Amino acid sequence: MSFLGRGSAPAAGGINQERVDMATQELDMITDIFNRLVSSCHAKCISPRYAEGDLNKGESVCIDRCVAKFFEVNKKVGEKMQSVGAAAGGNPGGFSL
Amino acid sequence: MDFSSMSSAEQAHMTRVIERKQMQDFMRMYSSLVERCFNSCCNDFTSKALSSKEEQCVLNCTDKFLKHSERVGARFAEHNAEMMGASAQK
Repeated sequence: MSFLGRGSAPAAGGINQERVDMATQELDMITDIFNRLVSSCHAKCISPRYAEGDLNKGESVCIDRCVAKFFEVNKKVGEKMQSVGAAAGGNPGGFSL
Repeated sequence: MDFSSMSSAEQAHMTRVIERKQMQDFMRMYSSLVERCFNSCCNDFTSKALSSKEEQCVLNCTDKFLKHSERVGARFAEHNAEMMGASAQK
């Protein structure tokens, strides 16, 4: 799609604003998810007593499971919202990671 | 993320965007870490100096948070790589 010179084939050395915006948005989303993941799993897995500076065994395992579970929830919610969107007749939003 | 489909000017632009974002993220992480460790470690205000116990707590808290975030990052990257592999196979 070519629109006012913002076509998908940029001239050499040119910047396709649309594509850059898309990539920036994706980057924003990934950073946001990562930051949420860090704070959620920290709140759930790390004991606030701070007796030592290393992660202990239990905390490490908890973090691994926490991350896996977070992504699973992310997927389930995405699927649910897509089916709600499809049932409402609207176009399903693009929830994917 | 995959920027290989972009022109070199676009890639250079994205590198600048990423650098700025990393700086922002670093500053944000710093202030949130101060808040987090202050709230967990400092509850006694009978003295204005950090006690050795509080200081040790703050050091452990910082150390632990960085290790936590590193581990989450590793799992996150693994998950992303898995997703990339899955979508490339389709």
